[in-house]
Amino acid sequence: MSYQVTIGIEIHCELKTKTKMFSAAPTSFGAKANTKTSVIDLAHPGVLPCVNKEAVRLAIKACGGLHCTIDPLVKFDRKNYYYSDLPKGFQITQQFHPIGRDGYVVIKTDEGEKQVRIERIHMEEDTAKQFHKDTGTYIDFNRAGTPLIEIVSRPDMHSAQEAAAYVEALRRTLFYLNVSDVKMEEGSMRCDVNISLSDDPNRLGTKVEIKNLNSIANVQKAVQAEIERQSALLDAGEPIVQSTRRFDEPTKTTVLMRKKEGNVDYKYFPEPNIFPIQLDEQWIESILNHLEELPEQRLERFMTTFGLNEYDASVLVNDRDMADFFEEVMKDAKDAKKAANWVIGDLSAWLNKNNKTFANNPSDAKDIARLVNLIEEGTISGKQAKEVFEEVMNGKKPDDVIKEKGMQQVSDDSTLIAMINEVLDANPQSIEDYKNGKNRAVGFLMGQLMKASKGQANPKKANGLLVEELKKR
Amino acid sequence: MEKFSSEYLRKLASDLKFSLSDEEVEALKKDFEAVEKQVELFETIDTEGVEPMVYPFETPTTFLREDVEDEVLSQEEALQNAPEVRMGHVHVPKVVK
Amino acid sequence: MKSLLTPKQSVEKITALQPVLNAAITIVEQPEENTNEGVLANVPVVLKDNVSTKGIRTTASSRILENYVPVYDATIVKKMKEQGAVMVAKASMDELGMGGTNRNALIGPAHNPWNPAHITGGSSGGSAALIAAGTTPLAIGTDTGDSIRKPAAYCGVIGVKPTYGRISRYGIVPYCSSLDTVGYFTTNIQDAAQALEVLAGRDDHDMTSSNLPVEHYLENLNGNLEGKKIAVFKTIVDRIIDPTLAKRFEQLVAQLKEQGAIVTEVEMDTKLLEMIAPVYKTISNAEATANHSNLDGLRFGMREDGASVDEVMTASRTAGFSSYVRARFLIGSYSLFEENQDRMFRKAQKIRRLIVESYAKLFEDADIVLAPAAVDTAPLIDESADLRFGQDRFENEHMQLANFSGYPSLTMPLCLAENGLPLGINITAKPFAEQTLFDAAYGLEQIIDWKEEPACLIK
Repeated sequence: MSYQVTIGIEIHCELKTKTKMFSAAPTSFGAKANTKTSVIDLAHPGVLPCVNKEAVRLAIKACGGLHCTIDPLVKFDRKNYYYSDLPKGFQITQQFHPIGRDGYVVIKTDEGEKQVRIERIHMEEDTAKQFHKDTGTYIDFNRAGTPLIEIVSRPDMHSAQEAAAYVEALRRTLFYLNVSDVKMEEGSMRCDVNISLSDDPNRLGTKVEIKNLNSIANVQKAVQAEIERQSALLDAGEPIVQSTRRFDEPTKTTVLMRKKEGNVDYKYFPEPNIFPIQLDEQWIESILNHLEELPEQRLERFMTTFGLNEYDASVLVNDRDMADFFEEVMKDAKDAKKAANWVIGDLSAWLNKNNKTFANNPSDAKDIARLVNLIEEGTISGKQAKEVFEEVMNGKKPDDVIKEKGMQQVSDDSTLIAMINEVLDANPQSIEDYKNGKNRAVGFLMGQLMKASKGQANPKKANGLLVEELKKR
Repeated sequence: MEKFSSEYLRKLASDLKFSLSDEEVEALKKDFEAVEKQVELFETIDTEGVEPMVYPFETPTTFLREDVEDEVLSQEEALQNAPEVRMGHVHVPKVVK
Repeated sequence: MKSLLTPKQSVEKITALQPVLNAAITIVEQPEENTNEGVLANVPVVLKDNVSTKGIRTTASSRILENYVPVYDATIVKKMKEQGAVMVAKASMDELGMGGTNRNALIGPAHNPWNPAHITGGSSGGSAALIAAGTTPLAIGTDTGDSIRKPAAYCGVIGVKPTYGRISRYGIVPYCSSLDTVGYFTTNIQDAAQALEVLAGRDDHDMTSSNLPVEHYLENLNGNLEGKKIAVFKTIVDRIIDPTLAKRFEQLVAQLKEQGAIVTEVEMDTKLLEMIAPVYKTISNAEATANHSNLDGLRFGMREDGASVDEVMTASRTAGFSSYVRARFLIGSYSLFEENQDRMFRKAQKIRRLIVESYAKLFEDADIVLAPAAVDTAPLIDESADLRFGQDRFENEHMQLANFSGYPSLTMPLCLAENGLPLGINITAKPFAEQTLFDAAYGLEQIIDWKEEPACLIK
């Protein structure tokens, strides 16, 4: 039996700030343990929080990019719970007045485009990192206090594919806006999924949460596995237990972490140490007016300005660095389609083979553009271009490679015509054959021409001229 | 059922990460009765339409801290008050009972 | 500010008095030399033990912080050091500021310098006792619900609670953040005015600290009471218990009129005044339970063994806090539960607003509201107890109005009672009108002409 699947997703993103949410200690990843803290992060007695302006700015950008309404009066609240990774014994968050509300993001599904509504975006702080070993628990407070935004979706997704598409869309948007590194594998973006299945479309089923999914692929796999698990239970008439689960990669199943007995009461109350902060409307305005181009806007532009098809455009846009490089190439390249093919095809393949990405791509966009133009102008053949490309990736200039290898195609009309007539003069039989309707003769003559020109005749051009010259005989 | 049973009070305490002696539990039962009386007293005050007063002064501030690094502790300072430290981490041992 | 004693002499005196007063948790045996020139040059200063001092143990009078040595100075400590001050002792207090007797202290009760059988009042009792005993001209305290002004009255000294936000709270071990105010004790109004110039001012570490400029309180000090609008808080005056106080207070009012002050009487609805204690307890316990959740034995402070992180935290917090403090955490937490918050914590916050609105009306036509500080002298140590929960007589709690509202408020000695213990008055002004407050106090100081000395100083 198939069930109505309802999915909501909560995403935590570390903001790309230099210092922490409420202290001036630096944010870091992979630094030596407990070297990036302040007394505030360690919650020493007497410390007070002090809100980071840049964190607020980045949160505003996220709100802008995700079409949320921004609350210009920033307020914080305490979320109270005891855990060894939470130094204060409470987390400062925005329970009652999130900075952003009621936004959306557009995702692509097999059935077309769809809006997933965003309920809220709020600012908060990260916890410390713990290592539980046989010899005890080891706590590193470097991460404690790192600025986060939490983005909470509405329960608008209904399949594993939609869930993955939502996370992908958010990840891409936040990356484009330079709000976060969004490195799921490093934990700078973390994803919790809520799923419920029901046989009655008017009623939600029991909610199960899958915590800490660390890649988009795993979001899809975990949701799929959980849908299958719950479907099987419901088929068998067994109840779904409200619980928190995690995804186990090796078995590709979800595993129970803990049962939820009612809701945890976090005893939220307004943070008394931070008076409400009135943001300057002009400041908000100027942040929103200077937002980086969003991926969907860029896709649109690639299609209209460069005439790319949607597939090529979206491949480029999905990797911001690749799209940036493509734009650099297009400053000089004449044919967008060819440029896109080279960037998406040969260049991507080369980077892949050499364990690089577009973020550390060694090639110069000008050289790739030159290469594309040389093909377009017919100076070199496509086959020659591949050879030139390899050398360009070794740091050479396309024109130098062509010169060194004597690759220059002969495209000049008068030179070609002279060469063609030499070949024709040497092969009267073929002319005769041509006149008798044996078109095959053209191929033979082209072969002779290429041989005589040592492969440098521009074949496309030469072919046309050859036919013209033949007709004159 | 007794509203403030020993079990209930011990659960409250355990949520706050401490425990209570039997005498403390008995004293707290009286305290909680007093607290509930206090709430009854609260109910005699009409607060319809009154907003909670969270701060003594309610003019919003505008200050936000610039994103500039400052006042970072060395590892030694960060850990010097920790009862136990191992390999640069605050450590909590596993005690075998 | 002048000190009769050098820092070293101050340390010796505090040490000598310790068996009588038990007022210091930590005495700085080798005070740090300070070569800074400034208004506090070479002035010894006592700090309540909830003020973070780099390199000097700071316990907040709680066992859980018994061994805690901060790695940072509170903002006010930096400010005072810049002006040349030398820190000589960390004074006793009620555990984490939670109390009004200074009985619930890490080292046992502090004793009143006028008669050691009596309490000092709390929670800043150690600071009050040490200033009364003449060990330093300036002692820092904190005032969440009259915790400076009550002990100042009981110990016969001046206690100042400025406007909320006037002095940075950064580095002060909190109790209840929306009520906590840093203040101090002195022995005369000129010192009180000058101390605020040093301590006050915007601190970006404390987002609730005020941007208003700090005035030249000492230079501008003007004790002329002519034309000063002083409102006598009749509702409290009517409840005075001590007969000497009643008589002397009446006389004082007459003297004010003689000096040309425009004296009026103001009253407040007793129904609201009766809410002071329960509202105070509800708000302060709730904020305190969260504020002290950082005390878990993991990163600093005292740790007890356990089989897991959870057990370590639980064992540490059980042994680290007194029974009384744990009880207050429990009740604070209870009032924050989702199902209770509307009828308890938020209800208390709403009543707080009604009380403050009503209190503000007293100032509509007055610069200063005058009341007795406490309606009786300091109780005997054995007979006093912190009312655990529930209602109290409002005349004992009225000074908390200045914490609810954030208004600046000051207590100064008025007379000695029959039993030889001091009695004081309390004056309060509008927010950030500290100059008005000091001016009135300066005028009052000249009328009262206080010259008494506590028993512990009599040779």
